[in-house]
Amino acid sequence: MATTLEARRPGSRLKRRNTLLGLSFILPNFLGFATLTLVPVIVLFYLSFTDWNAFGSAGWVGVENFREMLGDARFWTSLRNTLYYSALHIPLTFAVSLGLALLLNRKLRGVAFFRTAAFFPYVTSIVAIAFVWNALYSPDVGPINHLLRTIGIDDPPGWTTSADWSMPAVVLVSVWRDMGYYMLLFLAGLQTIPTELYEAARMDAANAWQRFWNVTLPCLRPTTFFVTVMLTIGSFKVFDIILVMTNGGPGTSTLVLSQYIYDQGFVENDFGYASSVSVVLFLICISVTVVQFVVNKRRAL
Amino acid sequence: MTTTSANAQAVTRGKALGGASGGPVRERRAPRRPVSTVGRVLGYLVLVVAAAAVLLPFFWMVTSSLKTNNAVFTIPIQWLPEDARWQNYLEIWRKSDMGTWIKNTMLLSAVITALQLFTGSFAAYGFSKVRFPGRDVLFLVYVGTIAVPWQAYMIPQFILMSKLGLSNTLWAIVALQAFSAFGVFLMKQFYETIPGELSEAARVDGLTEYGIYRRIMLPLSVPALASLALLTFVFVWNDYLGPLIYLRSPELWTIQIGLKSFIGQYNAEYALIMTGSVLSVLPIAIIFLLGQRYFIQGIATSGMKG
Amino acid sequence: MKRSIVGGLSVAALVSLTLTACGGDDTGTDPAAGGGGGSDEPVTISLAGWSLSTTPEFQVLADAFHEQNPDVTVEVNEYDATNYDTQMIADLAAGSAPDMYVLKNLLNFFTYQDGGQLMDVSDVAGSLDENTNGLDAYEVDGTTYAVPYRQDSWYVYYNKDLFTAAGVEEPGECWTWDEYAQKAKDLTTALAATGSDAKGTYQHTWQSTVQGFANAQSPDADILGGEYDYLAPYYERSLDLQDSGAQIDYGTVSTNSLTYQSQFGTQKAAMMPMGSWYVATLLAQQESGDADTFAWGIAPAPQLECTGDDPVTFGDPTGIGINPAIDEDEQAAAKEFLSFIGSEEAAQALASIGITPAYSSDAVTEAYFGIEGVPTDELSKYAFGTHDTRPENPVSEHTAAVQGALGDAHSAIMSGSSSVEDGLAAAESEATSELG
Repeated sequence: MATTLEARRPGSRLKRRNTLLGLSFILPNFLGFATLTLVPVIVLFYLSFTDWNAFGSAGWVGVENFREMLGDARFWTSLRNTLYYSALHIPLTFAVSLGLALLLNRKLRGVAFFRTAAFFPYVTSIVAIAFVWNALYSPDVGPINHLLRTIGIDDPPGWTTSADWSMPAVVLVSVWRDMGYYMLLFLAGLQTIPTELYEAARMDAANAWQRFWNVTLPCLRPTTFFVTVMLTIGSFKVFDIILVMTNGGPGTSTLVLSQYIYDQGFVENDFGYASSVSVVLFLICISVTVVQFVVNKRRAL
Repeated sequence: MTTTSANAQAVTRGKALGGASGGPVRERRAPRRPVSTVGRVLGYLVLVVAAAAVLLPFFWMVTSSLKTNNAVFTIPIQWLPEDARWQNYLEIWRKSDMGTWIKNTMLLSAVITALQLFTGSFAAYGFSKVRFPGRDVLFLVYVGTIAVPWQAYMIPQFILMSKLGLSNTLWAIVALQAFSAFGVFLMKQFYETIPGELSEAARVDGLTEYGIYRRIMLPLSVPALASLALLTFVFVWNDYLGPLIYLRSPELWTIQIGLKSFIGQYNAEYALIMTGSVLSVLPIAIIFLLGQRYFIQGIATSGMKG
Repeated sequence: MKRSIVGGLSVAALVSLTLTACGGDDTGTDPAAGGGGGSDEPVTISLAGWSLSTTPEFQVLADAFHEQNPDVTVEVNEYDATNYDTQMIADLAAGSAPDMYVLKNLLNFFTYQDGGQLMDVSDVAGSLDENTNGLDAYEVDGTTYAVPYRQDSWYVYYNKDLFTAAGVEEPGECWTWDEYAQKAKDLTTALAATGSDAKGTYQHTWQSTVQGFANAQSPDADILGGEYDYLAPYYERSLDLQDSGAQIDYGTVSTNSLTYQSQFGTQKAAMMPMGSWYVATLLAQQESGDADTFAWGIAPAPQLECTGDDPVTFGDPTGIGINPAIDEDEQAAAKEFLSFIGSEEAAQALASIGITPAYSSDAVTEAYFGIEGVPTDELSKYAFGTHDTRPENPVSEHTAAVQGALGDAHSAIMSGSSSVEDGLAAAESEATSELG
């Protein structure tokens, strides 16, 4: 691990100096962050124990909201769907974006074009994305099923119009959309790996796979950690792509927690309950993140 | 700055090799290995097909922007317009306030990206290279807020911002985006990859922590700064819900809110909506093309092949 | 040390937020307004609307009112059309909402009323005559909270040219759903024989297209009753039309984002159940060339059976309410504006721009059919003037949740993901747990 001032010269005066020094770095960001994000988030935790409706004062109801959640079938459905989505989306996006980054991290004619192309889904209007993908998925007249029928599959899936296939269909679009984003993060991480390590590995006659396993992956760990955490949180919080692709349907087959939270607040006007569901979502995300933190720390040692 | 940067690079590489060689490592290019032409052509073919698949929705967006309104959504999907209506591109300037929207969005994206880069990388240095009590807990708090869905706390945040007098000003969006935990997290992770011996050596040379940040960390973290800048820029550019809640006066609208309200107003003018969407993506594409070259600098070509 | 700073900040913020939420009487939305003066001084009151350049109704009301009351200016603030309620909830919560606001969807009325964000306007409601429809929708426990200015209704739009080409008889003043289905099938077959690919009818993806009619027409319909058997015949009929090819199937419509404007406007379907707002859109699109030029008319909604009563259909009123945080010296002006929008003069002004006003009278009908291009045949006039329009949903705290469950059932059934019985059973169990 990095040597720090403290490790070099221990002492309480130094500790205070270090604290002040650290804080001075953090302060410009922290001031903005604390007043504008942290405070509302803390208020949200408070609201999760109330029956707040966005207008009047918030009446304290204790753990009533959480108790209600236990018997709320719609909550469980959306939780289950969120887990299903994440279980598919996290590993797929991770693999595809890392693969893309490795592929496009070399001197290659037209690499700028290919990188931009990979990033394009992320910037293309989400309305256009939803339209084109939905049209491709169209069960009777869409090109995908047309192709499947040509190669002999007589009863192709209904994709976004079928309760069984809608989630995989959405995940596919989601991976396709997010891959450029995470590719960018991986690309930045790959720049930090010293070339000399590869050369040393080559001298030891390591093959490509060994170089990837013994040089790339270990050196990429801080980036991998960052990507995993962001990808996990992003998957658990998925909202807009589902909204435009299926709006939670057919039935409740793609209803996810974020959409449920939005509906509880803005449609059913129960912001207290919406806050409680958000707290549950937060707790899930943060426990996964802490596990990742611990695993990462242990590996780093 | 360039000299410091070169020195810093040299130091990193020296250290990574075990610190034996003292002088700057200039020669970074490794001997080229012959690559089979067939493999190369095949690789390109795969890449081109993949790129085509990836760009398909964008392609449809462009061709739709040249169609008549009722020819946009059809069965089966129509890939090319019957005859191109270029006047859509003139009409959108006439019917909408595109100029103002682009100006506002440019301004916001630039200011927020600059602030985010500065405060994010500065704070990240504190989190990664200075050790003080409570640091990890505070950092966990930062990351924790990312895990809270914004839809749930946007009303309390809106009330707070309104009390601060920020709502319905561009400052609201700046305040909302410029201090995100995302930037701190990204930069911190990147700094972790920079060997501690480097700052150690600089300290011995008498540099202060601020000096190390400015002269060593910043120049070394160009790829990370570039990706943070690109992602922040794109995020602000494409953000819809933030401007929707905070910017009510039409003269403050950003491109996304303007486009969506245009859709709401002319909800049958699909071709024009696509025209607007194409126009809104172009600046991003240009910025990305310019920005992506920062991801090639330090890397050796031979290292990854095979 | 760090922790205590965070703690201190949050407590202070919480206190300030709670105070904010309780108080909230410092609206101050338009500092330009010359408040402060006595009652005969000029007053400016603000009203929230949306998409002002294509939705002229707010400005029409404001101008007509200003003409009658030169001392009062109504200033219309623009909100987003699709996220109107989200913005309004935020503004009301922060105390920055306008003096008056439009209740865009009846479904959200409960949110504002229950949240104490609507002023009691029973006195205004009491002064209106009985020709103003839709007032009941805004009444809770004997108190009225808003005044409707417009009352939409659902009709069946039909393409006269396609009917003629197919040789199918046009509908009459009363027709049943079975006749409607038969006509749709006959039209499809006959049109296909002429080489046209137009379908008999088009049903949009919204749950209202099935459930709205069922809720209004079924004798034992009550969405808050938790039993939805009465929806089944409506779904079976719709699925039958879909399977027989007389209307495009739900999956194709939703995956291809088809729009009802282009389906009817470019003659892809000979009939279409749709709300009264589409009259103005269709006229505008025929004018601009986005829609084809063809003869069309409106027919009353099909019925379960013809009993001789006025045809039953559904449709929600659109009303305006007053923000309780309004300055006291502006209240009188706001109430005056509300009583104006429920009057015949306002209705005439609205009718002449193609809006279906809440106030109905012969003069209003005349103004409406005076617009160039509106079909003036007897059936269209009958459909416009004679109907028993019921609100799509009752106002209650459970409506939004139950509507959500029924919306899931709609997409599940129409897409073929579940059978009619299973889809409705799932909605029943969810509604029961919500209502229980």
